Amino acid sequence: MPASPQDSFQERKRRLRISFIEQLPDRLRQARELLAALTTSERQDEPLSQLHLIFHTLKGSGASFGFDAINASAKEAEQTLREVLDGDRRLSPHLLADLRRHVQTLEELKLSVDSAMAADSQPRFTLPAQRADEAGSNQRLIYLCDDDPILARDLSDQLGCFGYEVEPYASLEALRLAALKRLPAAIIMDIMFPEGRDAGPAAVAELNARLDTRIPCLFISMRDDFQARLRAVKAGGHAYCRKPVKAVELAELLDQLTSRGTPDPYHILIVDDDPDVGQFYAMVLESAGMVTRVANEPERVPAILEEFDADLVLMDLYMPHCSGPELARVLRQIPGYLGLPIIYVSSETDARRQFKALEVGADGFLTKPIEPERLVTEVHLRAERMRTLRSLMIRDSLTGLFNHNTILQLLKVAMASCQRSGRLLCLAMIDVDHFKAVNDTHGHPTGDQVLMALGRTLRLRLRESDIVGRYGGEEFAVIMTGLDADQAKSIMDSLRESFAAVTFIADGTEFHCTFSGGLAAFPEYSDPSALIEAADAALYRAKRAGRNRILIAHSNSRQ
Amino acid sequence: MRILIVDDDPLAGEMTLAVLEEAGHSCRLAEHGLEALERLTEDATFELVVSDLHMPLLDGLELFQELRERGLERPFVLLTGDDPTPLLEREPGLRACLAKDASLEQRLPELLDRL
Repeated sequence: MPASPQDSFQERKRRLRISFIEQLPDRLRQARELLAALTTSERQDEPLSQLHLIFHTLKGSGASFGFDAINASAKEAEQTLREVLDGDRRLSPHLLADLRRHVQTLEELKLSVDSAMAADSQPRFTLPAQRADEAGSNQRLIYLCDDDPILARDLSDQLGCFGYEVEPYASLEALRLAALKRLPAAIIMDIMFPEGRDAGPAAVAELNARLDTRIPCLFISMRDDFQARLRAVKAGGHAYCRKPVKAVELAELLDQLTSRGTPDPYHILIVDDDPDVGQFYAMVLESAGMVTRVANEPERVPAILEEFDADLVLMDLYMPHCSGPELARVLRQIPGYLGLPIIYVSSETDARRQFKALEVGADGFLTKPIEPERLVTEVHLRAERMRTLRSLMIRDSLTGLFNHNTILQLLKVAMASCQRSGRLLCLAMIDVDHFKAVNDTHGHPTGDQVLMALGRTLRLRLRESDIVGRYGGEEFAVIMTGLDADQAKSIMDSLRESFAAVTFIADGTEFHCTFSGGLAAFPEYSDPSALIEAADAALYRAKRAGRNRILIAHSNSRQ
Repeated sequence: MRILIVDDDPLAGEMTLAVLEEAGHSCRLAEHGLEALERLTEDATFELVVSDLHMPLLDGLELFQELRERGLERPFVLLTGDDPTPLLEREPGLRACLAKDASLEQRLPELLDRL
């Protein structure tokens, strides 16, 4: 038996997976032999049933062990054989060829226990699909209740520009009915209503009691007295904003209230020439909720890092051919990995030699033998701090977007990746129109609000895969992959219209802002600096053509 | 709970075993329906049967029917690689019918918690 009950569940599963992979060639060989013996001239139920059983078992255990790749081919082959056995289909040369093709597909699969184990850490099945869907669709649903219908509608529209789906309600009763029907992600509530001076908080408290839940709630009001604030807090209010309310501020608060997602688990790459040791660390770290990848050969590390976004590398100090410090030096010479935390694990206790190993740019030293708990703590602590530091290093402090250097770096990486995969890529350079006038008229804090609002609009409305950065002052850069210039333009145009609809308020006066943009596409422009230059030139043309528009750069229409 | 697991694929059986032992149950494995029938008839301490559907000789559903005919009324959970819904409709006496896929690891212990 491949596993014994004393082992941890993960370890047993790992061993079973290994056995499964080891046995797969044998099972497929059996399938091939059975297939070879089949002829189209007569029915042969016995070998057909055996064949069916092989595919059936492959399908079942493939799925239970998380090798999804097996499933498709095995399932199709199983289905075909079922139909033949049931007499619905005849064995034809064509059908036999199909079956052989399925066997071949299965033979060519490169299954790895590591990747299956890694896939485990993303619990795709924790929530029943339906509930997951509901949570997803409700995530941005906000109810806003204010007895002034015009204010309610205006504010809802403005928040809509920040990617929220806001339903305005002018009466407490309408809000109550809506909330009972469908729970929002948050409620924005006025304090004073015709029903009473504190009717807003009272209504929220009652709703929470009735639904036995605590809907995240923001209060907005003209009132600034302690009594009103206390009422709001007692009703479970998370924030209190005085009218006139700034939509940007509300959006920031809503962000905090509605983002419930657990942070990404830490990604740890383990480099150790001894597979058992590597697997052991992997198991320890994974049982603490981290995602790991194990590399037994140092030369594979750069390739793995390209697709596995590691927060930290745990590295054996002494490995044949390439030592830990040598590998560290190699990594430090690759752009993008300068800030990647590296920790050595070794039985080296000589402080002088430890120090020498650290000199080439590693961040820490763990001495063997290392207790599992200590390994988890040390790795967690460093990964956490590194993530924070890295985010400070790569992000712009005002907007939270990637900073100038990072966006340049990411553009290079994205273009290289698109070059390999043959995907399209677009770069949009965006600049706020008449930004200097905003600063001069309303002051810098207001200008900052405009930049924050634009940053948020971009971040929330674009896809997860799009990369958004603050390129400089009032200039932003957006990298979109998988789109051609026209598709990218229509997305940018809709963002442009949303942003133009945002009402900013400064010193009691309302104003609006617009932006202009220039787009350039890869592979029409094939290197990063040419792409940036082209997008910049198109942006300049958009400005000269009257602003508040997006123009596309074309190499034949260069000016 | 003391559980008999029936699966002709030893790896799949081991996997179910690992899942259930992790959840704190005590389990035995039977490799086919006939062996399961024998053990269940002789040993009254099994409280639950978790069986694969598709097996040679005596499949999961036949095993279930055979057990009921012999008056053995233990709760019976069927595992299948196919869509479980039609099976439950055909045989409402089954305690549950679960799809054999990566979700089993979680759903099987959850189901047993409710039993």
